[in-house]
Amino acid sequence: MQQLLNGIFIGSIYALFAIGFTLVFGILDRLNLAHPAVFAASAFVGIELVARGGMSLWTALPVVFAVGALLGLVIERLAFRPLKNRADAHFAGLISSIALAGMLIALLQWRYGPDTRRFPAGSFPDSRYEVAGAQVTLVQIVILAVSLALMVGLTYMVTRTRLGRGMRAVAENPTAARVLGVNVDRVTAVVFAISSALGAVAGVLFAINVNTAQLGMGAAIELKGLAVIIVGGMGSLPGALIGGLVLGMAEVFAVQHIGSSWRDVIAFGLLFVILLLRPQGLLGARKVREV
Amino acid sequence: MSEPILRVADLRVGYGRGEAVRGVSFEAAPGSLVTLVGANGAGKSSIINAVSGLVRPAGGRITFEGQDITRTPAHKLVGRGLVQVPEGRQILATLTIEENLQMGSWHTGPGTRRSIGDMYDRFPVLAERRALPAGSLSGGEQQMLAIARALVAAPKVVLMDEPSMGLAPKIVDEVFRVIEEIRASGTTVVLVEQNARRALRAADHGYVLQSGEVVHSGPAHQLLADERIVQAYLGVDGAT
Repeated sequence: MQQLLNGIFIGSIYALFAIGFTLVFGILDRLNLAHPAVFAASAFVGIELVARGGMSLWTALPVVFAVGALLGLVIERLAFRPLKNRADAHFAGLISSIALAGMLIALLQWRYGPDTRRFPAGSFPDSRYEVAGAQVTLVQIVILAVSLALMVGLTYMVTRTRLGRGMRAVAENPTAARVLGVNVDRVTAVVFAISSALGAVAGVLFAINVNTAQLGMGAAIELKGLAVIIVGGMGSLPGALIGGLVLGMAEVFAVQHIGSSWRDVIAFGLLFVILLLRPQGLLGARKVREV
Repeated sequence: MSEPILRVADLRVGYGRGEAVRGVSFEAAPGSLVTLVGANGAGKSSIINAVSGLVRPAGGRITFEGQDITRTPAHKLVGRGLVQVPEGRQILATLTIEENLQMGSWHTGPGTRRSIGDMYDRFPVLAERRALPAGSLSGGEQQMLAIARALVAAPKVVLMDEPSMGLAPKIVDEVFRVIEEIRASGTTVVLVEQNARRALRAADHGYVLQSGEVVHSGPAHQLLADERIVQAYLGVDGAT
């Protein structure tokens, strides 16, 4: 039970991170590899806000969300928009976003140095609860609640609102969306902002969960995020949620029952098995683009 | 004749090295139906895309309601009442029929529900299937959806690019019936068609295009009556 819960907590963070990834991919057909750098940067920003700004967790989270959105706009403007009319915009954006990620991490290192940073002691309430014989902290509950709320909110936005309709229209056929009067550039920027805001919150939640932020944390989650969106079905939001939870639980169980050095072998091995059985991913449709 | 609502002067559109449109001029009076006819590659779609702001013209001047819109992007023109029904329909297949109609009202907030209701009254087949993905409709039904979606935007001018393309003759009749209804409601229509006879029979004024240039223009019935034009540009068989 304890491992199951731990798997769900860490898995919900993976899912939140991966949903940001898959949102840009599903709607804009672009892979934004600066996403992991946003994840890392926001963890440092979050610690700064709490440690120096004296903010509580509750005020810090919305601020981090806003900072993430802002970073998303910068990423779109610098790494993607200038390249959008190139025939190889896919690869060009992929590479320019890696470059931008490198710059972001270098700036973090310049500002904070190479050392691990922590939240000051006593930053968060230390309440613990018993759930079905397992220990759960208030912080863990907050992590799960925030992740789920953001994912539910995003799904509602995409499926039920005008902006979400516009996003799906752009996803299916950008030309048709333009004909209908959609400002495709603006929708694109908004998608990047939302994606990065979610990645930023995931970063600060991750830092809260392990009480540390490191320069390498983005690189560590990058492959997991990509694996989750492939297993979930590229572009599928619920797929990313399920994929994230599966990966989180697989990791926790592997560490507990086999040994921590086997964590990645078991977790990624499981993902390979899923892909062998369902090559399109758990919830991926075999997309046929209309001509 | 009143001041034209849409005026295109010496329009040039180029892709790469070639020029698809080489100095085309035409105009549309408010409430009229104007057609541009010509064979494949005559530059018809390039003209429509330039007017609707999807493609940036290489030269010339486009005015809509007396204002220069030569370099105004599409997303600003739709809100001002210049709306396109694109070639190949371009419906959003994964969105529902209702969502497609809602997308038509991207710029017109209030009153949307009523105008969508009006479209359901006009096209009952869309009402029946409003919750289904638009991709489930037949070609003719998709064309009706594309037209209805444009009308939800409350256009002053509708630009129609080959609305009869790929449709069975019976459906083509229906499409032209709808086009004449739109025009009868006071909306200006600019119709681009390969089906030249059919388009000229519906139109007030016609322009015959060849290789990106206007080779003939005049009242539609006069163009149709001119044997040389019919022989040279409109094809021998115009039964449809």
